[in-house]
Amino acid sequence: MTATAVRTAVVEARGLSKSFGGFRAVHDVSFELHEHEITGLVGSNGAGKTTLLNLIYGRNSITDGRLLLDGTDVTRQPAFRRVRRGLGMVFQHTTIFPTMGVRENLRLGALRKHPGADPSSPDEIEAMLERVGLAEQGDVEAATLSHGEQQWLEIGMVLLAKPTVVLLDEPTSGMTKAEAARMADLCRTLIEQQAVRSMMVVEHNIDFIRHISNHVLVMHRGTIIAAGTIDEVQHDQAVRDAFLGRQA
Amino acid sequence: MARSTRVRIAELVLLAALIVAPLVVHDAFTIDRFGRYLLYAVFAISVDLIWGVGGVLTFGHAAFFGAGGYLAAIFMERGGWFLPLPLWPAIALAVACVAMFAVLLSGLAFRGPFPMRGVELAVITLAVAYLLEQYARAGGRLTGGQNGILIGPRLTVFGINVHRGRNFYLLAAATLIVCYVVARWFVSSRAGLVVRGIRDNEPRVDLLGYHVPNMKIAVFVLSATLAALAGALFYVHEGIITPGAVGVAASTQVLLWVALGGRATLIGPIVGTIVLQHLTATLSGRLLDTWILVIGALLIVVVMLFPAGVLGWLDRGPSR
Repeated sequence: MTATAVRTAVVEARGLSKSFGGFRAVHDVSFELHEHEITGLVGSNGAGKTTLLNLIYGRNSITDGRLLLDGTDVTRQPAFRRVRRGLGMVFQHTTIFPTMGVRENLRLGALRKHPGADPSSPDEIEAMLERVGLAEQGDVEAATLSHGEQQWLEIGMVLLAKPTVVLLDEPTSGMTKAEAARMADLCRTLIEQQAVRSMMVVEHNIDFIRHISNHVLVMHRGTIIAAGTIDEVQHDQAVRDAFLGRQA
Repeated sequence: MARSTRVRIAELVLLAALIVAPLVVHDAFTIDRFGRYLLYAVFAISVDLIWGVGGVLTFGHAAFFGAGGYLAAIFMERGGWFLPLPLWPAIALAVACVAMFAVLLSGLAFRGPFPMRGVELAVITLAVAYLLEQYARAGGRLTGGQNGILIGPRLTVFGINVHRGRNFYLLAAATLIVCYVVARWFVSSRAGLVVRGIRDNEPRVDLLGYHVPNMKIAVFVLSATLAALAGALFYVHEGIITPGAVGVAASTQVLLWVALGGRATLIGPIVGTIVLQHLTATLSGRLLDTWILVIGALLIVVVMLFPAGVLGWLDRGPSR
């Protein structure tokens, strides 16, 4: 008798579409993000990757289709409710609190998950400062950090909110090779230690995707044209046609 | 000792000095005048909460300061149904009514079908102040029209007359201290941290799972309530309230006090209010025709040198 691996879908997108006036930025996109998996989302500029992320976390309303988070329909829910259901979003362009201290930024991330205790200086925040490499800068103003440090701060802030699914939009943008390797380690560790149940990473850096992801979606002109391992999609005829310009 | 603790101690020393200094003056008229400044300072703190801490620019906050005074006056001076009321019940009811009005207004602004931000909200607050001023002018017997309402009852606490001079000053100082402590407590609280986060980066606060509109409503209502309390005490002390109390001019004046002193510092607006008011009173007596030009030039220079306000500069350094 062989054991059958049950893949639990944490996020289910069913026929998602988004139109801006007459322009269809995302059209009939369906996929699942599974537990213990990091899904890469790749595609050329303008393929609709960022719009798709916006639909998932709630920045843009969904024109058509359904979005389920742990089986619950969140299609019409605002962003903050989706976050409360476990979504976490890390942006390419950092969205920190520049006039506050680094530790205060992390406190804001942690605060909502700690209704009973004061998390002004708990071990959790100190541990996160260590984890994101900002232990020496806990009291400095966030605006004074370098771009790379601000990215790590944002990741720390999002992780302290205890998300079950993390969406990352080009996390290695502006990072050195060493920092990108550290980011890959962090992503893998979070999944292996089950600190996060699932992740979706939008990235142009295919090497990074290859390092962290066992499942890749390829977007082209607002639709998903291929899905599978990175080797599978690289040999997919539709992908070759799209990127070699042979598709209409 | 952490820098934030040192800054906080320096603040308290400064606040104590500001409050105690006028008491060495034996001239009852001057002390009384400084008492009025302290109530204005409470008004400035209320604006600092919503503008400096919350990042919501308001051009109409005198609507709440003046409404506190008008409602207290109406509750004490008009008859019928449960009116007139004694002094403190009238003030308490006036403050409660303004708080309710702030809940409705901010609920509509932040949670309505078309949530407002930035300039939109500034324009709405401007419109509210303008409408209230026009209503006060045209309000007939209720508001007294152009002439306003003469307020007869005098400020008393446990039978002690605190309406003028040193006693009034102590009442104003006590009000300022209580309001400052409440505002400082709010800013230091979890809600205050979230509100400061909204000022810095509203979309990120939303994406950490906080209900942004409710947090904005909370700071707006607290701010309006403090303004109403200050306004009620101020106009009862004045003995008269006229339509200018709820108008646009008063609303913009308080913005200057806050900008000069230092936004989001709480202590800065107190300093800004007292210094500007004292300067205005002093110069207007000596430079009959040109004092307003001098004040205007001074404001421009200070804002150019210290964009974050004087206390903001001392608190955070010259970079911002």
